[in-house]
Amino acid sequence: MNAKAEKIRVASIDPSYYQAVTDAIRTEAVKLLSEEAVVAVVGYLPGRRIGTAVPGLVTTPEQAQQLIFSPACVNNLSLYLTKAKKGVLKKGKVAIIAKGCDLRALAGLMGESQVKKEDIYTIGIACAGVFGANSDRKGGLTEASIARKCRECTVHQPEGVDLLVGTLPELPQLTALEAQELARLEALTPEERWAYWKEQFSKCIRCLACRQVCPFCYCEQCLCDKNRPQALESSPRPAGNTAWHIVRAMHLAGRCGGCAECERVCPMDIPLNLLNRRMAMELKELYDYEASMVPQEKGPLTRYQEDDDQSFIK
Amino acid sequence: MSRIGVFVCHCGENISRTVDVERVAKEAGDIPGVAFSCDYKYMCSDPGQNLLKKAVADNNLDGVLVAACSPRMHEKTFRKAASAAGLNPYLCEMGNIREHCSWVHEDREEATAKASDIVKLMVERVKKGKSLAPITVPVTKKALVIGGGIAGIQAALDIADAGHQVVMVEREPSIGGHMAQLSETFPTLDCSQCIMTPKMVDVANHPNITLYTFAEIEKVEGYIGNFQVTVRKKARSVDESKCTGCGVCMTKCPKKKIPNEFDQGHGMRTAIYVPFPQAVPNTPVIDRQNCTMFQSGKCGVCQKVCGPGAVDFEQQDTLIVEPVGAIVVATGFKLYSIERQPEDSPIQGYGEFGYGTIPDIIDGMTFERLASASGPTGGKILRPSDGKEPKQVVFIQCVGSRAREKGISYCSKVCCMYTAKHTMLYHHKVHDGQAYVFYMDARTPGKGYDEFWRRAVEEEEAVYIRGMVSRMYQRGDKIVVMGSDTLVGVQVEIEADLVVMATAVQAQDGADLLAQKLGISYDKYNFYSEAHAKLKPVECATAGIYLAGACQGPKDIPDTVSQASAAAAKVMTLFAKDQLERDPVVAKVNEKYCVGCLACKKVCPYGAVEEREIRDRQGNLVKVVASVNPGVCGGCGTCQATCPSKSVELDGYTDEQIMAMIEAL
Amino acid sequence: MHAEKLQHDFEPKIVAFVCTWCTYAGADLAGTSRMQYPANVRVLKFPCTGRIDPVFILRAFQKGADGVLVSGCHPGDCHYMAGNFHARRRFAAFRALLGFVGVDLERLQFSWVSAAEGGKWVEVVTELTEKVRAMGPMKEFKALEDEEQWSGALNTPELREAFESIT
Repeated sequence: MNAKAEKIRVASIDPSYYQAVTDAIRTEAVKLLSEEAVVAVVGYLPGRRIGTAVPGLVTTPEQAQQLIFSPACVNNLSLYLTKAKKGVLKKGKVAIIAKGCDLRALAGLMGESQVKKEDIYTIGIACAGVFGANSDRKGGLTEASIARKCRECTVHQPEGVDLLVGTLPELPQLTALEAQELARLEALTPEERWAYWKEQFSKCIRCLACRQVCPFCYCEQCLCDKNRPQALESSPRPAGNTAWHIVRAMHLAGRCGGCAECERVCPMDIPLNLLNRRMAMELKELYDYEASMVPQEKGPLTRYQEDDDQSFIK
Repeated sequence: MSRIGVFVCHCGENISRTVDVERVAKEAGDIPGVAFSCDYKYMCSDPGQNLLKKAVADNNLDGVLVAACSPRMHEKTFRKAASAAGLNPYLCEMGNIREHCSWVHEDREEATAKASDIVKLMVERVKKGKSLAPITVPVTKKALVIGGGIAGIQAALDIADAGHQVVMVEREPSIGGHMAQLSETFPTLDCSQCIMTPKMVDVANHPNITLYTFAEIEKVEGYIGNFQVTVRKKARSVDESKCTGCGVCMTKCPKKKIPNEFDQGHGMRTAIYVPFPQAVPNTPVIDRQNCTMFQSGKCGVCQKVCGPGAVDFEQQDTLIVEPVGAIVVATGFKLYSIERQPEDSPIQGYGEFGYGTIPDIIDGMTFERLASASGPTGGKILRPSDGKEPKQVVFIQCVGSRAREKGISYCSKVCCMYTAKHTMLYHHKVHDGQAYVFYMDARTPGKGYDEFWRRAVEEEEAVYIRGMVSRMYQRGDKIVVMGSDTLVGVQVEIEADLVVMATAVQAQDGADLLAQKLGISYDKYNFYSEAHAKLKPVECATAGIYLAGACQGPKDIPDTVSQASAAAAKVMTLFAKDQLERDPVVAKVNEKYCVGCLACKKVCPYGAVEEREIRDRQGNLVKVVASVNPGVCGGCGTCQATCPSKSVELDGYTDEQIMAMIEAL
Repeated sequence: MHAEKLQHDFEPKIVAFVCTWCTYAGADLAGTSRMQYPANVRVLKFPCTGRIDPVFILRAFQKGADGVLVSGCHPGDCHYMAGNFHARRRFAAFRALLGFVGVDLERLQFSWVSAAEGGKWVEVVTELTEKVRAMGPMKEFKALEDEEQWSGALNTPELREAFESIT
């Protein structure tokens, strides 16, 4: 596809869309806070640099006027509801801004008893997409700047939310780069795939940003921090790195909502979401399970059917 | 540093023939933490065991590894010996160098190397082992029996006769179940009610049995030895403590035309009623859906005529909590309905038999009522549509059963026998009548069963046609039955006055819901699952819950009674001790690190994981964690493999032990 | 009457994770029946396949296993009713993951071996041993173990610049 044409088409999303979403968020947040229906709103505030956004917690109607929504609102805010992080829930009912992908994480957290539906008020955003990491944001949301996950998003329109804001503008069809990359890797021989991942994992500096940003990594003690027994080597050596990423993908299998925050925050640009995507594909194919925007009682690996596939078992 | 003792057994020559046991013992001595090692001809012999005991004492050992046969063979032996030497038995392990080594490998070098490796791995396991103590659980010596049919009655009487308290809960207004509905029973043709009703009375009069009829299980909490069962006693509208059972209310009740469920809808009852004259308890119940007083607020005749003033229109459901130690589930069965079923139903009904719209096509239970002396026809075989005596009766076996396309693939077990019985009863009552039976096979295993069946065929003149019926329809006052005789290879058409179908035995309505309350498993037909098809046919996999009768699968009366007595025996075994001892290989939650994702709870096959709230001193909720009930935990460890942070750990198979073994590979 | 012993250049290390009720007992039966199979396998006993954590398999490969066998009760035979059902899903997922990162799945075998299937145990162990023997050593994880230093390729100009400014 002609990149220029793409840019024009994407950029042609009426900026009033973002303004409308921002206005709707503010109106609702002000209303909720002044009526004391919630004690706080977890949303996005403008960053210090123009065109950026940061996660923020607002507790007064005045502060709520600062809330925004823009393509820079990349963070998955459901992270801030898990106990391992800020623990904002303890103070009372909280409203949260959620894009479709964030909503899947939120639903997952509800299914795992980490968040109670009655404790939160979800403001879902009909989301056109957000910026990718390291992208040039000057020209607004374009094919060049949009996050890879958003190119093949299936959850632009949130479901099961308390309030839905925004009307989705017409969205261009973008090539599914991540799916292409997955297909490319699948077509390789095991040796080639091993070489690919060895290269990727060897970059890892074990900063654990992937863990810190993941809404599902809410354990009080991560397996990788445990030393009796030590299941995973903790130093950033290739062996431990590989084990860490394999274990992490396994722990997220059937839970990951696909927000790809791990990949976004990785300072070494390891394509971590590929692992999660691959597992999601497998679970979809085997057990017809997909991360959903509404809570599910059990994930694919905490339930079974007697006639599950066992073609791989002798 | 550990002080482990390693004992390598020759097993006569069984091990030493292929494994250099001396070398294995010597190499074991070099493993860090091994304080003593030796080899011996027969470790399991008395001198062998004494060697072990002496070595523990002399060397102050804190763990023992016996490299010998399979632990399935002698683990108990050596743990007992270790225990006698003052060691915790769970610090004694076995390395399997016989079944897994000397017997399966020929090369001495390879086998010896493997034996040494096995010892090395197992020593690591012993090093990381923990002392464990058997879990003791107190036992409440009171049993709950759910269901008041013959299965429940038998189980309840057996347990009560052994001197234990029993609570019986029956959904219907009277106990008795399906057996009370039957006319005569195969293979003896004795009257069902004659043998059933005395047992019903025994239940009512037994000092150890508390009977709740017209009641259902609301909630079950707890575990083996310590269940808390909430029973919902539905509003009977009649005060049981006042009612004398005189029956005046029933004779005076103006609503007299309500089809009686007990007679399969073919007899009539009043709105205040007992299901049948011999009901236990003989206390009426008001059917509020059909009572004029409840529907329009006018009437109250029964209340006016009741001498003791027992009728109480204001009565409410009551909830009773009963602590019990064991539960016998005896909820019985229902019959397949050929009527058109909802789209999502696994059974489909029989369009080719008119979906139950032809009045003279009845099921086996209805025929029982027609043949019963206490039934709606007083024991005369009269057909429902016009009350005429049928001269040609067609019986069809396997309706619904053994018919995968109709949703059920199993055999209902009792139909061959009761159909043979039906043909006899019919022949006895209608001498000039002719009975035809369409059948797939005649299945008659059981004492005196085949003789009984042969009697039906050879002496009672029933015509057995091997084949199935393809279609039935009404023509005039006859039912045309079209089928095939597969032995002769011809199509058959019979003009019948009455058709009796032996419809499939199915699990009771709501069997799945009750199972969910009890936390027991059930199959795809909602029959309850036993813990082991052969060796634990009475126990549920959930400890402390036992099965009796057709709720587990189709059964005849002798089998039901046997199983009920077996279930009672299991309960008595449990009640024989004040404390229940369980293997300590159970999961424990590390509450410090548990974040309460409850993945463990979702995968636990035993329902042993509960949520537990942790509160600070002010009573504020700190967090919710998983908590494993050691009385219920079966020790599979699925929870631990599922837990992302490994905050639940299976004693005896801890991650530390397993990882240490893997490190030693 | 022993068959002539073949000498192999490479003897793989095979690790078997088995449940105690079915496969361990099946292996016992192979022993009591005096069946013969390669001595390469080391058996680790678990109560149930449900207890077997994927981390164990990973760790076994890291610690030098050339092949891993996971074996338990046939579906419906689980002593704990459902442990093997959960294990089946878990291992289906884990297998896919290992395959995706480039582990040759021929080295990882799953099987159901009942307490009555001594012959099947022999068959499964023999087949896996021979297959892995033909494949040669599992180099991948061992190579990682041997790499002491962070091997990250400095593949971005910024990183290279930063790196060079330090050294």
